[in-house]
Amino acid sequence: MDINSIQAQIEDDLANLVSAQALEEVRVKYLGRKGLFAELTSSIPGLPVEQRGVFGKEVNALKNKLLKLLEEKEKTLKTQSNVLQESNLDIGMPGIAQKLGHLHPITQVIDEICAIFNRMGFFVVQGPEVETEYNNFTGLNIPLEHPSRDAFDTFYLKEYSKLLLRSHTSPVQVRVMKTQKPPLAIIVPGRVYRPDAVDASHLFMFHQIEGFLVDENIRFSDLKGVLELFAQSVFGPDIKMRFRPHFFPFTEPSVEVDISCIICKGKGCSVCGRKGWLEILGAGMIHPNVFKQVGYAANKYTGFAFGMGIERIAMLKYGINDIRLFFENDLRFLKQF
Amino acid sequence: MKVTYNWLKDFLNINLAPKALSEKLTLAGLEVVSLAEIQGDFVFEIEITSNRPDWLSVLGVAREVAAITGLKLKTNKMNLFDGGNLKRKDSSLKIKIEDKKDCLLYTARIIKNVKVGSSPEWLKKRLESIGCRSVNNVVDATNYVLFELGQPLHAFDLDKLSSNEIRVRRAKTDEKIITLDGVTRLLSPEILVIADEHRLLAVAGIMGGKETEVTLKTRNILLESAVFNPALIRRAKQKLGLPSESAYRFERGVDLEAVKSASLAAQELILKSTSGEPSGFSSLGSSKLIPLTINLDVNYLNKLLGTAIPMPKVRQILNSLGLPVKTKTKNILTVKTPSFRQDLKLPVDLVEEVARIYGYDKIPKTLPAVKPRRKVLDKQEIISGIKNILSGLGLSEVITYSLVDRQLLHKSGIDTLTGLIEILNPLSKEQEVLRPALYPSLIRVLAYNLNQQQERVGIFEMANVFSGQINTVREDSLLSVALCGNQAFFTRQGLVRDEITLLHLKGILESLFNRLGIKDFDFSRPQDNRINIAVNQQPAGFMLNLSPQILEAFDIKNQRVVLAQVNLEMLLGSISLGKKFLDIPKYPSITRDISLVINEDLPVQELLAAIKVKGAPLLDQVKIVDYYQGKQIPAGFKGLTISCVYRLNNRTLTEEEVSPVHHDICSLLEERFGVKLRKASED
Repeated sequence: MDINSIQAQIEDDLANLVSAQALEEVRVKYLGRKGLFAELTSSIPGLPVEQRGVFGKEVNALKNKLLKLLEEKEKTLKTQSNVLQESNLDIGMPGIAQKLGHLHPITQVIDEICAIFNRMGFFVVQGPEVETEYNNFTGLNIPLEHPSRDAFDTFYLKEYSKLLLRSHTSPVQVRVMKTQKPPLAIIVPGRVYRPDAVDASHLFMFHQIEGFLVDENIRFSDLKGVLELFAQSVFGPDIKMRFRPHFFPFTEPSVEVDISCIICKGKGCSVCGRKGWLEILGAGMIHPNVFKQVGYAANKYTGFAFGMGIERIAMLKYGINDIRLFFENDLRFLKQF
Repeated sequence: MKVTYNWLKDFLNINLAPKALSEKLTLAGLEVVSLAEIQGDFVFEIEITSNRPDWLSVLGVAREVAAITGLKLKTNKMNLFDGGNLKRKDSSLKIKIEDKKDCLLYTARIIKNVKVGSSPEWLKKRLESIGCRSVNNVVDATNYVLFELGQPLHAFDLDKLSSNEIRVRRAKTDEKIITLDGVTRLLSPEILVIADEHRLLAVAGIMGGKETEVTLKTRNILLESAVFNPALIRRAKQKLGLPSESAYRFERGVDLEAVKSASLAAQELILKSTSGEPSGFSSLGSSKLIPLTINLDVNYLNKLLGTAIPMPKVRQILNSLGLPVKTKTKNILTVKTPSFRQDLKLPVDLVEEVARIYGYDKIPKTLPAVKPRRKVLDKQEIISGIKNILSGLGLSEVITYSLVDRQLLHKSGIDTLTGLIEILNPLSKEQEVLRPALYPSLIRVLAYNLNQQQERVGIFEMANVFSGQINTVREDSLLSVALCGNQAFFTRQGLVRDEITLLHLKGILESLFNRLGIKDFDFSRPQDNRINIAVNQQPAGFMLNLSPQILEAFDIKNQRVVLAQVNLEMLLGSISLGKKFLDIPKYPSITRDISLVINEDLPVQELLAAIKVKGAPLLDQVKIVDYYQGKQIPAGFKGLTISCVYRLNNRTLTEEEVSPVHHDICSLLEERFGVKLRKASED
């Protein structure tokens, strides 16, 4: 092979080169241990003596030239951006990365609510889903044979009398207060169970978040303030709130809390049943009988408690109209969150 | 409960429009769930909380309207309650109450020569407007009084009684009665009945008997007005599955002191519409309650509410609710509870009454001083972290029911069904048992999504499972992961599809364990389709390659499904999030790769372990950097590239030191494991 055609070959190889890797390949092709120049150099001893000098010089000159060209090419490659190295890359093509999965919307709402209360100084505590009748009812001032229990239809366990699936997260109040002294600022997310016939807004299993604050001098006005901060954090600063007297056996005074309808802004629509208000939670001042049950000294502490259904909050927040979607686990649903 | 605007107006001159009244009632705790105009009247449907049986009547709602608006109840209506025109004429009827605890008061009024027929139009219209069907002028009168005053009444056909004695007693075992609805009811001693000497007349407080029903032929009637033990009525109602307007009120508690006036009010209506004659009255039991005295400290009230409501205002509110109040000291008010307010027991109950009428909306909003606590790493936080790691690895979280059907477990290959926790009162088969494992639910979700044409499903759930112990139920938090379909990802060469295997699942768990700082974990394979996972040498879970039988049971076709179930408590117990910095190596390493072909049956773990031993102390790391099966590799074998990294912490190693060690490793592999080295590359 003559020097000129080698030189043409080198120039050709370098001309359309776009990556450092390709450059390295060219370097190895010519200058590697088994590269072309090694071959050329090793062929010198086989040449007639008179040609050796000239050829040697030519080879050396070409090698120097190649080194220079490689150096230049390396510089230009470095100054070009990576994307432009691949001249045919279309940035409209899909990006390359591991696709992220999705957290269940119920988890996201629980995390969000817990974070809001964490910031206010509340701690997350969990309790078992299989509970005693005492913790679920009696300890919470819900008499065994009283119509107030109608609101808490409950699954019982065969062969385990006095054990049931908790129908609300409130038993954790009893658990915590029986083992800890105030001040307490606790938040309890979890699954709860009620034998309700299944339809678009009822299921036999759902999630609740319970919160309670117990200390000396906790007031009803504190409950209002905390719940307003919560509702505005979840639903936006313009949300209006309404506190309606209600009855829960474990709180007195008791309250149900409505927010102005997030769909119609209070004008009245199908979501709020033309009322302009959406009920989001129940709350109240912890009943003195509950403090008595857990063994707190009478009149020493006051506190408030509240509880809300997570599915309800999630449905309002995301505009979901059928509670069953949460447990069908259709990926086309889950991937929207 | 339904009341109408005009009916309320019988009790007080309401000066509020129906809509405005409905809002006021709602904000006072009587939530009006609907307001409808019916035939020139307005019907309020009110949700009454179970603590306020006194609100289950027009009178009760009227009392509340009085408190809200400051209006006074009309005296002509309230005269009923002073018993002024109660003309008593004892009848020959005898009343026997077996147990005073079952029935505090029983009254019986006899009205003779009634002409049973249809009720006057106004009465029919009123009953129908609140959804009560008109029957006849006697039954309608009792219903009217029930809805107006809240006292359930019952009228018997007097001539059908076999004796002149009424007995309030427990039913005998297997005693039967045909109730008004025509159904034969089998009774038991937990159920209270009304009887004469020979037979049953009614299930007390719930429903009358068919035999003594008032019909068009009835001439003489016995009108019952009584108070029964609420818990007893509740139990009987539940046992018989027989709810009624009467039972609804009795189980919540009726006003003892209104029993006689209700009887009288019904008599007046009956006399007017049937031209009957009053003919006697008998009663047994006490008709007066000793009122409870509650002292309310106004300072306590304001401290609990966060308000500054002055004493006179508190007094005025309590008065407006019909509660007799006296001022005891500068700050303390004394309230004697009237018989219709049995719900008032503690000072805090009065606080609520004041707050309700004062208006919850007027109570200020404040923020409490929450005392900060020392931060601890809580379970919820770690669980949250795990969920985030898994979703970062491409998995989606699902939430499935903790209650499952046995069939699901059976289909998943769980056939040891002992220790299953059964639900006593499931509504359907899907709620039969508490699940003992998490993964069956995940298989179901996988199958569902494959049916929805999803190409790849990667899901996880973290939840509790349940197992029976002696007298108690054990709850374990588990994590389950399930994968199926192709893992598809882009490379520069385009889309690469890779069928999911147990190694994909292992990779996910390894990433999770590493992030949680769990150092000691191990995967072993006791069976073809099952991998055991150990953490700190303790069993912590397993991975499964679902068998064709299970796949078929779930109707999953042409897919491999792999899943894992890990005990979360084991993970939580092994987490070490405390990190310790190790010096970045100062001296360079020398890396030598070994490419080899080994028998498929030879576990690579053994190979790596042997290399580590042989390479010590120069060998710093050994890892598999590539593997392949295919054209160049004979069947039954696999190709591996193992990378050996040699390094010392106190000086630079030389090629001359490394080469003999590496050579020894290669020889070991050839001699002990019989592997074929393909080439030893230098780098």
